[in-house]
Amino acid sequence: MSRIENHPILGEPKKGKTVSFTFDGKTMEGCEGEPIAVALKANGVSVHRYTQKNHSPRGIFCAIGRCTDCVMVVNGKPNIRTCVTPLESGMTIQTQDGVAPKEV
Amino acid sequence: MKRYELIVVGAGPSGLSAAIEAAKCGVEVIVFDENEKPGGQLFKQIHKFFGSKEHHAKVRGFKIGEELLREASDAGVEVVLNATVTGLYQNKEITVRIGDAIHHYKGDTIIIATGAAENMVTFPGWTLPGVIGAGAAQTLMNIHGIQPGKRVLMLGSGNVGLVVSFQLMQAGCEVVAVADAAPRIGGYGVHAAKVARTGVPFYLSHTITKAHGTDHVTGVTISEVDSSFKPIAGTEKYFDVDVICIAVGLSPMSQLFKMSGCNMEDNPKKGGQVPIIDSYGETSQKGVFAAGDVSGIEEASSAMIEGRMAGVCAAQYLGYCTEEEKENKLKDLEKDLDSLRQGMFAPSNRGKLIEKTDEGIDVSMSLLTKGFVSDDEIERFPGVTHKVGVHPVMECTQNIPCNPCQDACPKGCISIGENITNLPFVTDGSQCINCGMCVASCSGQAIFLVDEDCGDGYASITLPYEFLPLPKIGDVGSGLGRNGERVCEATVVNVKNLKAFDHTNLLTIKVPKEYAMKARFFRA
Amino acid sequence: MNILSDRSRDIGEFVPAEDDDMLICRCEEVTKGEIRKAVHDGMWTITEIRRYLRTGMGLCQGQTCARLVKGIIAKELGISPAELEPATARSPMRPVEMRVMGNEEA
Repeated sequence: MSRIENHPILGEPKKGKTVSFTFDGKTMEGCEGEPIAVALKANGVSVHRYTQKNHSPRGIFCAIGRCTDCVMVVNGKPNIRTCVTPLESGMTIQTQDGVAPKEV
Repeated sequence: MKRYELIVVGAGPSGLSAAIEAAKCGVEVIVFDENEKPGGQLFKQIHKFFGSKEHHAKVRGFKIGEELLREASDAGVEVVLNATVTGLYQNKEITVRIGDAIHHYKGDTIIIATGAAENMVTFPGWTLPGVIGAGAAQTLMNIHGIQPGKRVLMLGSGNVGLVVSFQLMQAGCEVVAVADAAPRIGGYGVHAAKVARTGVPFYLSHTITKAHGTDHVTGVTISEVDSSFKPIAGTEKYFDVDVICIAVGLSPMSQLFKMSGCNMEDNPKKGGQVPIIDSYGETSQKGVFAAGDVSGIEEASSAMIEGRMAGVCAAQYLGYCTEEEKENKLKDLEKDLDSLRQGMFAPSNRGKLIEKTDEGIDVSMSLLTKGFVSDDEIERFPGVTHKVGVHPVMECTQNIPCNPCQDACPKGCISIGENITNLPFVTDGSQCINCGMCVASCSGQAIFLVDEDCGDGYASITLPYEFLPLPKIGDVGSGLGRNGERVCEATVVNVKNLKAFDHTNLLTIKVPKEYAMKARFFRA
Repeated sequence: MNILSDRSRDIGEFVPAEDDDMLICRCEEVTKGEIRKAVHDGMWTITEIRRYLRTGMGLCQGQTCARLVKGIIAKELGISPAELEPATARSPMRPVEMRVMGNEEA
């Protein structure tokens, strides 16, 4: 578990209510409104996509929506920047392979 | 097309400051920001800022952000979030993406405060998940409450690398080392010292030669580099890590200026491509201003002042204040900005090796290469004195623009003198009352209260402590030296946490008296 | 005269290097070797390299690699990176879907 439960300066993080979503077909839980990437990280997922040319794994890199390395297929739509897209209940999130969902 | 008197691009420290200052003069202002929340990078800064009262010194960055948002809302500034400015055209026209549409606006004046982007270095494996920017680490832990990983190697010893290393430890991660290809630490010595005393080793003249792992980082190899920054074979060191954090500088995000046709320059002292501006931020296009990191990489404190300057100038351009009113406001702001740009880390000193302080004292070479002042060097600094009874020991050894310690002491024990960058010293005949305000006020965590002989052969040391779990009275552990190595056994005899300390806990430890000037950290 | 205007200047042969397979542009997956070779193919400006190899033309629009690419080209040409004209800045500054671009309010 990588969530910070108590922080010496910030105290307990304020989080949205727990919601579930699916990642490559598996049901997972996260906090509503937090970036998808954070919910995935809390569930131990670090590979967000495989690149088009070299099929190399990529994940969170800049975490502020600039580098676009963390894009995934969200609700069927590819190239969604998961570090700045808030998690909603029932979202379907898939590892991206090139620009399509990766087959699992 | 809607028209505004002033359009500000970017709701970070400088953009908000600009909007506030202009709105206060009566200008109708709109601010666009591409992010979900305003405040830019300020809300990731959980450390206390340097400077003087005017610069919000000893206030934590995110608190400054909250103040700024309140001030903006009081001034009637309209901030539109999730609004990405996609272009700046001639005649001050902009296009903004909001939702699923592109909107056109025209400003009578425009202030661009888009900030900066992180620089990167390449090494085999640098695209692996687990290799992240220092900004990403801050965003994950300080905004979203999640650890970037368990064990981290930091590349970069500038202020960002040092501050983020400390924050990683505050978030409960282990920092295995700080590496930098440069031969000397780039950031403030006090930032390095507070990391080093917890036991984090510094590897200067080292670079990453490989990130290990197939689907995620599992380790890292660093190697020493020669004077032309080439790795030296046989000097490899391997660390077991799951995160590699990169903090190798920032570049201004100045593309909008270039697009609109402003005169640009490539200025290494400013971090790269920037618009050519006058001393108040006006570009070659009248009525188009730059403020903050986009006009040259500095700190949030200076970005806020630059923003206010640009805001005042825009107001005057629009006829909301007279030339004289503008000059008066600018005079004060310029004074504040000048004081921040003094000392060893002034923009004009970037890249220079400074061997003596303004006081003529030799700078600690151990601090510049290992992150801590060695025991034999520390005695030569004016803040380090010996006295009977409890007294402050200020291990502040570089000329940086900062003076909260001077105001913190209710008894006037600490003086900086006229110049804000001077090293602090203990005033003659003053009486320390052991209140700890100086310890908590020092943004560099460089002040300790020491009683070199508190009886029975022991000394007491009060030190700042910002980690969890907080040790308890009676806990027995190790007193660590400035280099982070155990020097003696230490017992916690007091733990103080007042609201005025703002989350800096004061830990008093008892150590054998020969370690009074050596032990500087406590490990349970 | 700008050092770049003399295209007949001899910059020497392309010499393979150990780190030629280092990925530089993360989005379009372009390597250091490809960029260096392109310079020897006659692509001396950032704009030419972008059109030739698509460096900085992917989703992030060169946010990460611009500085790195600039450094590699400059080194290959034996000049300072500051002498190279940066890439053209044009709208959209961030990736925008075509359907949004089309949905433009005058």
